[in-house]
Amino acid sequence: MEKKLIQKFLICGIVLLLTVLFPLFSNNFTIRFGTDILMFAIMASAWNIIGGYTGYASFGNVVFFGIGGYITAVLMERTGMNFGFAYLAAGFGAALFAVLIGLPVLRLRGHYFAIATLGVAEAMKALVQNLQITEGNSGIYLPLLNFSIKAQYYFFFYIMLGTLVLTLVATYLMLNSKLGYSLIAIRENEEAANSVGINTTWSKTVAFALSGLFTGLAGSIYAYQQAFLKPGPAFSVETTVKMIVMAVFGGTGKLFGPLIGAFSIEMISETLSNYFLVAHTLFFGTVVILAILFAPKGLIDLITKRKFGLSYFLENIRQHRI
Amino acid sequence: MVLQILVNGILKGGLYALMAIGMSLIWGVMDIINIAHGAFIMLGAFTTYWLFTLFGMDPFVSLVFSMVILFVLGYGVQKIVINNVIRAGAFITLILAFGIDIFIKNLALVSWTADVRKVQVSYGAANFSLGNWVTIPTVRLLAFILVIVISLAFYFILNRTNLGRSIRATSQDLDAARLVGVDVARTYAITFGLGVGAAGAAGTLWSILFPISPMMGGELTLKSFVVVIIGGLGSMLGPIIGGLALGIAEAFGTDWFGSTYGNLISFTILVAVLIVRPKGFLGKAD
Repeated sequence: MEKKLIQKFLICGIVLLLTVLFPLFSNNFTIRFGTDILMFAIMASAWNIIGGYTGYASFGNVVFFGIGGYITAVLMERTGMNFGFAYLAAGFGAALFAVLIGLPVLRLRGHYFAIATLGVAEAMKALVQNLQITEGNSGIYLPLLNFSIKAQYYFFFYIMLGTLVLTLVATYLMLNSKLGYSLIAIRENEEAANSVGINTTWSKTVAFALSGLFTGLAGSIYAYQQAFLKPGPAFSVETTVKMIVMAVFGGTGKLFGPLIGAFSIEMISETLSNYFLVAHTLFFGTVVILAILFAPKGLIDLITKRKFGLSYFLENIRQHRI
Repeated sequence: MVLQILVNGILKGGLYALMAIGMSLIWGVMDIINIAHGAFIMLGAFTTYWLFTLFGMDPFVSLVFSMVILFVLGYGVQKIVINNVIRAGAFITLILAFGIDIFIKNLALVSWTADVRKVQVSYGAANFSLGNWVTIPTVRLLAFILVIVISLAFYFILNRTNLGRSIRATSQDLDAARLVGVDVARTYAITFGLGVGAAGAAGTLWSILFPISPMMGGELTLKSFVVVIIGGLGSMLGPIIGGLALGIAEAFGTDWFGSTYGNLISFTILVAVLIVRPKGFLGKAD
């Protein structure tokens, strides 16, 4: 057991080292592509906290991304705050919003929770479109980063990587604490969890806040990187879908599942778009359908069980049909 | 003035009701939230558009075609794809529906481009006045009457036919229905087909009244949610009450706050209803 743990830490260390060194051997385009993967890895991992471990499938997590982005934009543009503080404010603002909205919405279960969160995200988009301070539908500009082009690519890559590491370490610590066990208990059976004395409302709200915190941080970096933010893209339902699909594709309720999902989905999508310009737009839907049908437990289940035969996929599809 | 807004709201609400009837049926019977509902509405709209553009077919005739085509499509999707994971739980079918939605949307984008189109019927702008009080657009009124006819047809199918009995039995208890000889897989496929067929009809009527494009579906799915949530599941009257409520609320809301606030109003209502009364105003309690 001890040996296995050391082995795991060793693998993580090597992967992290390779990622840190990655920009040194890449051109600007590839660094930017890597930054995008890291961003989606953060958001999918953050979704995993509430959707994977707690079993509350949020369909509105993009709201934290948008709020993080807009807090950063408004603070930097209107008050001249520097990025460091705006970044922290974005994370805590998104987390606070998660608490406020979570208290009523987390009482709902299953479908109703999913739709309520979707509704919150859409309502927030419509609100931002109508507000003066966010410049409504025409979009808001952010101050430009005063670095050389190359340094900008490095800056965003490393701050995104740092945020991802923070997300994963926090999730790891959470899993090994009382909170982590509470969340999994809630996912398996909320009434039972309640009856053994777990404060389910508190645990769920903290999980939702953590999910909001990291998604908000990702939104903050994204906004600064783009230097321009519009309500449509910032609160796009498609972004939520991408987080969920990546988490499911990699494996929900597993620490590294969403990371693996984000990496593989982005890689496949990028490769396809290079070779099949038209057909690749159909790829995303097809991947979702096939993944749900044949490997609903995600890639990580395939990797850890080391089963690659046809029988694994056929067994999955036989399990839940009528 | 107030009366005119009310009439506009009711007429639009009728269309919302038709959009939601299919979603409510699929949700109530199979516990599937069909996120692809708006995409199916879009396909119905484009069926009408192409029949109109290529053959000059009147939308009120092509309504039949889009319903039948969408029924067959829905039947196939349920039978081949969704039935395979139907027992895996709500979350899995929800994501699967998302996959279907993205697939249809992008297929439509690739085939028809993102252009916004319109079905330009000669009688599109016709209207008549009731005294000096209200002006009623003829097409919208016709559409509203059709909504009522289609709702009644659904009510009849569900409550007065053997098929309806199978559907209701399956929704109450899948295993018991199977024990008494209901072909559950087929019943599910027909239910999904009926729901998607109603979406097709809504698409046809939408295409006469508003511009259409492959990306129109997302917002319509969300509107359908709002209607289903307000009305509640489990009764034929739910979507109609929900649809009218949303239509009227939107009409007055945009009159008071301005048209850009339409979505904010709908989604605030959605979240508020969910928090206060998650089962809707006509929904059955657990």
